[in-house]
Amino acid sequence: MIDRSLLRHIDWILVGLLLLNSFIGAAFIYSSSHYLPGNYFLKQILWIFIGSIALFLFLTVDYKILVSFSPYFYIIAVATLGGVLLFGRLVAGAKSWLKFSFLQFQPSELTKLALILLLASVFSKFRRDYVSWKKGLLSGAVTAVPVFFVALQPDLGTALTYIPLFLAALILAGMNKKVFIYIMIAALVLGVVGWNFALKDYQKNRLTTLISPSQDPLGSGYHILQSKIAIGSGGFLGKGFRKGTQSQLRFLPARHTDFIFSVIGEEFGFIGVVVALMCYFMFLNRLFKSVGLARDRAGVYIVFLVTVMITFQFFINVLMVIGILPITGTPLPMFSYGGSSLLTNYLGVSLVLNVKMRRFVFV
Amino acid sequence: MIKQEKIYEDLFPLLRRARIIFVLVVALFIFLIMNFWKVQVLDHERYWEKSEANRMREIALPYQRGLIMDRDGTILANNRASFRVSLIRENCEDYDKSCRKIARLLNIEESILKERIKKYESMPLFKPIVVKEDLTLEEVAMIEARKLELPELVLQSEPKRFYPFESLAAHVIGYLQELSPEEMKKSLYGERRLGELVGKIGIEKQYETALAGVYGQLVEVVDSLGRGREEIDRRESARGQDLTISLDFDIQKEAEELLGGREGAIIAMDARTGELLALASYPNFDPNKFINRFTSEEWLNLVNSPEFPLENRAIRGLYSPGSVFKLTVALGALDSEIATDETTFVCRGETTIYNQPFSCWREGGHGKVGFYDAIRHSCNIYFYNLGKELGIENISRYARMLGFGMKTGIDLPGEKTGLVPDAQWKIKARGEPWQKGETISVSIGQSFMLVTPIQIAAHTALIANRGARVTPHLFKYLSADGKRKEGKNQFLNHEIVDIDPAVFEQVIQGMWEAVNNEGTGRAAKILGYDVCGKTGSTQVISEDKSEKPKKKESEEEEEEVKTHSWFTGFAPRENPEIVVTVIVEYGGMGGVTAAPLARRLFNIYMRKHDR
Repeated sequence: MIDRSLLRHIDWILVGLLLLNSFIGAAFIYSSSHYLPGNYFLKQILWIFIGSIALFLFLTVDYKILVSFSPYFYIIAVATLGGVLLFGRLVAGAKSWLKFSFLQFQPSELTKLALILLLASVFSKFRRDYVSWKKGLLSGAVTAVPVFFVALQPDLGTALTYIPLFLAALILAGMNKKVFIYIMIAALVLGVVGWNFALKDYQKNRLTTLISPSQDPLGSGYHILQSKIAIGSGGFLGKGFRKGTQSQLRFLPARHTDFIFSVIGEEFGFIGVVVALMCYFMFLNRLFKSVGLARDRAGVYIVFLVTVMITFQFFINVLMVIGILPITGTPLPMFSYGGSSLLTNYLGVSLVLNVKMRRFVFV
Repeated sequence: MIKQEKIYEDLFPLLRRARIIFVLVVALFIFLIMNFWKVQVLDHERYWEKSEANRMREIALPYQRGLIMDRDGTILANNRASFRVSLIRENCEDYDKSCRKIARLLNIEESILKERIKKYESMPLFKPIVVKEDLTLEEVAMIEARKLELPELVLQSEPKRFYPFESLAAHVIGYLQELSPEEMKKSLYGERRLGELVGKIGIEKQYETALAGVYGQLVEVVDSLGRGREEIDRRESARGQDLTISLDFDIQKEAEELLGGREGAIIAMDARTGELLALASYPNFDPNKFINRFTSEEWLNLVNSPEFPLENRAIRGLYSPGSVFKLTVALGALDSEIATDETTFVCRGETTIYNQPFSCWREGGHGKVGFYDAIRHSCNIYFYNLGKELGIENISRYARMLGFGMKTGIDLPGEKTGLVPDAQWKIKARGEPWQKGETISVSIGQSFMLVTPIQIAAHTALIANRGARVTPHLFKYLSADGKRKEGKNQFLNHEIVDIDPAVFEQVIQGMWEAVNNEGTGRAAKILGYDVCGKTGSTQVISEDKSEKPKKKESEEEEEEVKTHSWFTGFAPRENPEIVVTVIVEYGGMGGVTAAPLARRLFNIYMRKHDR
């Protein structure tokens, strides 16, 4: 049962910012897909609605209970990922979808929340100044399992978004310089080994063409180039809503999903980009401020990890559309079209609200 | 107690660490804004241009090439509608897969297709490359049906050159071929488009600028699949000018039929103006086969064929003039007054000059020969003596004066100069001094002397006009939209050579007798039409074309086969109208082979002009 007084402590500003950013995204989903069959805009609105309901329903359960059940969530999530690998449907060359009769769903998205809860549970009673080997390896192991499964799908972009959660947990727990250096070395070794053995050719191409996209205009550099052309041609004021030639004439790839921010850049120019970035910043800022309002250690971890999850994806995506990072297929949280991602982010924010509104404990 | 502990748990180290991350985030935001500032404000122009180039497509609208017509308006080079299909490389999802599909669809070798696309690698992005043209209606339908599956293919219609009479006057008209990247670089054709069809030889090349029209242009907005969305600007193409040439279809056709598969050339020319009525050369080719963007097997075969079918023998064939050259020697001898029309020599069939034996073509000789009979019977001995008196310097001077050793100025590309030998030339070319005996050979048109049939025709016209030179040409007039364009006749030739007209009358008398008084040219005689002419039979030096397949078996006839057969003449004797020059390679005696062909041409001309 939910205490009515708790309702008063819901951070309505955070909810408002969440919806504000969602609707900005939806507007540009409309602009970039109104001429396509599939009703992407309406579907996104529906997802916002579903997400909002889920967000509030999810609030009813105390996060401490969720943390205590986190091993089960985690096992279910990992099992589902295994199931996807075996029975999943190939979409765009990757087995990452579970198709039910009424909807398709990407389990790798919700896995993030299960991982966040589990990591919070791992560190909830950890009170030392620096992270111990035992905790470090344990949290590393629980992160590695889904990373491994998702990378096999193969959906490297999503797999990579799990790793910051683990790193963020370590940062919070505290690392002395020695551990930090070890991790850096490990990352370097992993990078070299990964480049030589694990990365598929198309993934390597994406990385190499990033350096000079115009050399191979129709190879993998093509998408980055078209995105930069879209953003650059928008100029200071933009070409106007639904008037972006790059997106309307379909030169821009994945306009309503991964490259939605390029559409903003093209149609509303630098001004639009700054406004959108400001809205996003206010939202992220609010999330970061929430970290300090958690009552206990588990709460701090939950709020911080959710914040890192959204922040990390945001930067990966925006740095990609402007051509600084390679294309990884990471959507822009709240902006990009896509139900799984949106629902996950809404539930993530729900966790933050959950921790925040239960900070006054009179129990 | 436990709860207490939880409440006052020291979370500050955690929050401090979280704040460090937050500072990092703020820094990244600033970094992002700086990046967008650079791309959107500082580099805006560059990206703007790229986005415009992305969405705008310029399509060249093909023009209709001007028609080529004969003097009576018979269309010799026409246009017809045709479809072609082009590939836009940038629209291929998978280049290799596309190539495979297209090759199968259009029934072309995949390797040929790829080679062709590679050839035009330098084309700007999103410019279509023609992969197959002259599609059948079935192919058009097939491509149209697969439009969605193969967005990289574009169908275009274009007017295509068409020569309705196939090989007729092929050497004169010429053919078209695609402008190659190399020619484009050297800008041989001025400001033209890569892949445009341009005239490669003949009239098509000579009057390229007039015949070619101007491309129109269509600017349209396209989407990323290259589908046109909206037309922004359209400029229609301009048709090329129509060209009427002087050829007479009937005479040309007759001339080609007369050659009848024998290598050689026939020229019929208006004696007064130099307008060419017929210019036939065999072997010939069908120019329709060249208007093809693919280099066909057939083309390579033609180019490499030992018979050189692409060579226009009338203007590029180099032959010894043989006895025809006796006219030049006769004119020179009379003009320089080393002989008169009363000069006689005795012909015994052979003679010794400069300690070398020389013979007449007639065994036993012509006996006592006068000036007119010398031309009439083409007596070698007579002209050996005239040549000896004249000397090589005079012979070459008169030869040049009468049009040899230089281009006639005909309006066809590739005309050859020929060769008038003299002492200076021999030292320079062969590094040897002139031998006196060579003068004797030159005086009957043998030895080093080389002429083209068109030079012989021009030479004959000059004699017919009693010294007035004409420039052989094909151009009559250009017209646009059915209206004839008036212009100065650039082929008008007012030059009159510095030889007494009386001298011409005397040579013409000899030519008249050669045809009309049982002379060597009697086979060209037409009752009621005064034809004047001269035959020639030139010995072909065996080393010259030793590879030549022998046409006749027996040894006796083989001798005959080793001579080229000449006839050149004009008619009527007074106020001449037409010049006919015939050469049949390996045709034997001029009077036997060439003269009857000339007769037929004179005849058809006469009938046509109601005589």
